[in-house]
Amino acid sequence: MTAFARRLAGKLAAGLVMVWVVVTFTFFLVHALPGKPGDVQYEQYIQSGMNAEQAAAKVKAIYGYTSHDSMLSQYGGYLGKLLHGDLGQSISYSGVPVSRLIWAALPWTVIPVLSGLLVSFLIGVTAGVVAAVRRSSRWGGLLTVSGSLFAGVPAFVLALLLLVVFHTEWNLLPDAGTSDIQYDPGWNLPYIGSVVQHAVLPVCAYALLSYGGWLLAMKSSVVSVLGDDFILASELRGIAPVTRARYIGRNAILPLFTVLALSFGVMFAGSFFIEDTFDYPGLGDLLLKSIGTRDYPVMAGAFLLITVSIIIANILADLCYTLIDPRVRR
Amino acid sequence: MSRPKPLVAAIAVAAVAATALSACSSSSSSAKKTNGGGGGTGGVFTSIDANNKITAGAPMNPYNASPNMFKGYNWMQLAFTKNDPSDPNAVLPGLAASWTSSDSGLTIQLQPNAKWSDGTPVTAADIKTSLAIAYTQGTAGPVASAGGTVVAGSNFEVSDVKDLGGGKIEIDQQPGVKNLYFQRLVLTATIVNDKVYAGQLPADIWTQIAAVQGTDPAAASAAADKLAAEGKTIAAFSPAKDVSAGPFVETRVNPGEALLDRNQYFYAANKISPKQVILRSYSGNQQIWGYMNGGELDYAPYTSMPTNILNQVLKAGYTRIDAPSYVSASIAFNEKQAPYNLTPVRQALAYVIDRDAVTKVGEPVGGITAPTTTGLVGSQSDSILSADQKAALNPYSPDPAKAASLLQGAGFTKDSSGQWHLPNGQQWKITLQTVNGFSDWIAASTIVANELTAFGIQTTAAITADFATYQKEMAAGKYAVGWWLVALGPQTDMAYARIYGSADGYSVTNGQAAHDDNAATNWEHTPASYTVNGQSIDPGQLAAQLSTTPVSAQQPIIAQLAAATNQELPVIQIWNYTHVMFDLDKRFTNYPKTGQDDLLANPPGVWMMQGYVQGK
Repeated sequence: MTAFARRLAGKLAAGLVMVWVVVTFTFFLVHALPGKPGDVQYEQYIQSGMNAEQAAAKVKAIYGYTSHDSMLSQYGGYLGKLLHGDLGQSISYSGVPVSRLIWAALPWTVIPVLSGLLVSFLIGVTAGVVAAVRRSSRWGGLLTVSGSLFAGVPAFVLALLLLVVFHTEWNLLPDAGTSDIQYDPGWNLPYIGSVVQHAVLPVCAYALLSYGGWLLAMKSSVVSVLGDDFILASELRGIAPVTRARYIGRNAILPLFTVLALSFGVMFAGSFFIEDTFDYPGLGDLLLKSIGTRDYPVMAGAFLLITVSIIIANILADLCYTLIDPRVRR
Repeated sequence: MSRPKPLVAAIAVAAVAATALSACSSSSSSAKKTNGGGGGTGGVFTSIDANNKITAGAPMNPYNASPNMFKGYNWMQLAFTKNDPSDPNAVLPGLAASWTSSDSGLTIQLQPNAKWSDGTPVTAADIKTSLAIAYTQGTAGPVASAGGTVVAGSNFEVSDVKDLGGGKIEIDQQPGVKNLYFQRLVLTATIVNDKVYAGQLPADIWTQIAAVQGTDPAAASAAADKLAAEGKTIAAFSPAKDVSAGPFVETRVNPGEALLDRNQYFYAANKISPKQVILRSYSGNQQIWGYMNGGELDYAPYTSMPTNILNQVLKAGYTRIDAPSYVSASIAFNEKQAPYNLTPVRQALAYVIDRDAVTKVGEPVGGITAPTTTGLVGSQSDSILSADQKAALNPYSPDPAKAASLLQGAGFTKDSSGQWHLPNGQQWKITLQTVNGFSDWIAASTIVANELTAFGIQTTAAITADFATYQKEMAAGKYAVGWWLVALGPQTDMAYARIYGSADGYSVTNGQAAHDDNAATNWEHTPASYTVNGQSIDPGQLAAQLSTTPVSAQQPIIAQLAAATNQELPVIQIWNYTHVMFDLDKRFTNYPKTGQDDLLANPPGVWMMQGYVQGK
């Protein structure tokens, strides 16, 4: 077995243990939330004119997916199903498989967050290099301020601002949803155009929110690398600025690479505020709804997906790090 | 010339590119089917189903807890309730053109051209399957402890459905059971297609129903368990496509919207003007306000809004429509916690709270200050109580002196700094509990807290994380004072059951109410009996009695309950909600108007069935 394969096997084993720990923790955590499935629906039935007995009977019928077994027994059952790839059935959607709900929501988180992440990474990293190299200039200062500003603005404020400017005031972009319902979903231009159009604001919101973090991290990293001896040595030896910039970039970006890899994992959590503001029905929105209705299987399923994706991203980052940074291999 | 700001320019360029991509390609083979407004028959009617948030992956099955199905559009009933307080059985026709009630049940005549969207006729088999499914969903029997006579208007007990031919169908009520609201409950049951749903039911479903209604308790219990299990299968069922007997049929649901096309086979297709309906998803009130500001909705359901938003919406061209809403926002007490077990304390608080001022802040658009507390909304108690009975009600107009006098009479003292102290000497502090997301209650809590604090009772508003937690903690008796909805009508028995029913620890057996002090309840009321006008009454018993009393004979019971509630104040009604809706007379016209309460109690699809909402 090669060193890489041993390393991979070790990481996977550790990842599996971590998944089990998190699955166990989240299972008990979500069940510890006060309130139970059907409580909110019961109240809605009462308010819609049912009497208490009828509402209770209806809740019992449609929320019959709530197990009355002991927590330990439920946990055992959940793990058993999980090993077979079964995330269980939703409570608030009366038995609809959790995987179906997650699968339906997944693209509407991955598409905008991934786009936003890549856009913000490219712009943020480039701006970070400029801000570091020109840190004594007006431009450098302005870039740093812009980074601090966007890193500090709360998600819901920025999302609302974009909504007001680009929809309410200028009516340039749609305010909600993923596409225009009148286009047939598929690989056709009108539908794709509509999806792109609807994704612009959420993507911009994601990109702007994470741009500041990339910029500031890259600036800090570049400034740190600029102070290294090898940069001074390369200057003294008269190495071309372009070559030196490559040295700086390659060394400065290493710490950000780990963060980027982890961000791919965190991406699956979506962003509650952005999805809520633009009524973008991704995983964050699904998770929020499931918490409100105490839909334990959907909550557990969504948390599992987020956890697994972060752990996988972490493992991949570790492994890739050995490839891009020779020092780690030693 | 100044250079464009990079951020704005980038977003604008992306917007223009996306719009161009979308617009330029609309002439391709997959172009939009239609768009725009009315124009005689045709056009797209855009709205929101307030009761049903759209979720990708949810089934087109009305029995699911969160279905992608829309009442009045593709979700049909034999009839639709008029929400008439004077006649709870009054309905508007749906798939049933007419009906006659008798002691043994109901005979209905289906609409002559009632058809499904696949062109096949609506038959007695569809009605029979639907009523059998209702039995598995908890909306039909079994009625526990019915006593073989008159039962509360909850679940209907159908024992058989017979095809009399020519679209005439007999629906039998379980022999020996008399449900006052059998007609409405059967007529407003969901009707689904037998060919789509029958496969989900066992062949012996009516045998199981007969067993549940039978006299053998063991067989009834076993059959009830089987029905419950079958109910789960039905609720989880996901039909491949929508087969609708309504005016529209669901074509597509994407994660944010649902598209419904006009059902060419609908029995009154000539009355339906919109060619398509788009129902939008929404994540909160702000989203609905945003749609309305842009004039995107032809009809908007009730949404709580402040006055400035109302003005914006009206400026955008919307017309406000008001319909009765049988709900009242109130402040409730846990009478197991001192000092809220004392009637003078609750009365004193009612004299301190200026309900007008609270309503103006909490619910300025959709609320009308409650004239007093009776357990019913103001318009309903006005129409039921006699002039003398109304005159005898205490309006609890703001009167700090009266409040102080009541508190002093109860042993409370006021210190030199103006703070009230409990009879045991402790300073009186109130935590007024409300729920995250209930913006009207939260805003109103601030005013109530200010008023009580100014009077000398240090009051703070506290917010519970979500409604599920609120219910859990309320039932656990954690809150002493909090917001609650009461007067849930129009059925008066429902309204009083909210205060003196199962939520208050009462259970009804054979028409007799019994109170369990240890039951997990909402806002506990003690004692179980009140002395009103020199007469001792048991409100739980009276509330139970209402449910088995015909509307025509309910007045004396309601008068007693209203007087008792007004005197004892288990809750203080702050405002009565009004069902405020908005229509946009731009692409469509001929909407129902304020005053047409029977229509306005239903969604626009039902209006369209009656010939309303025509393209301009």
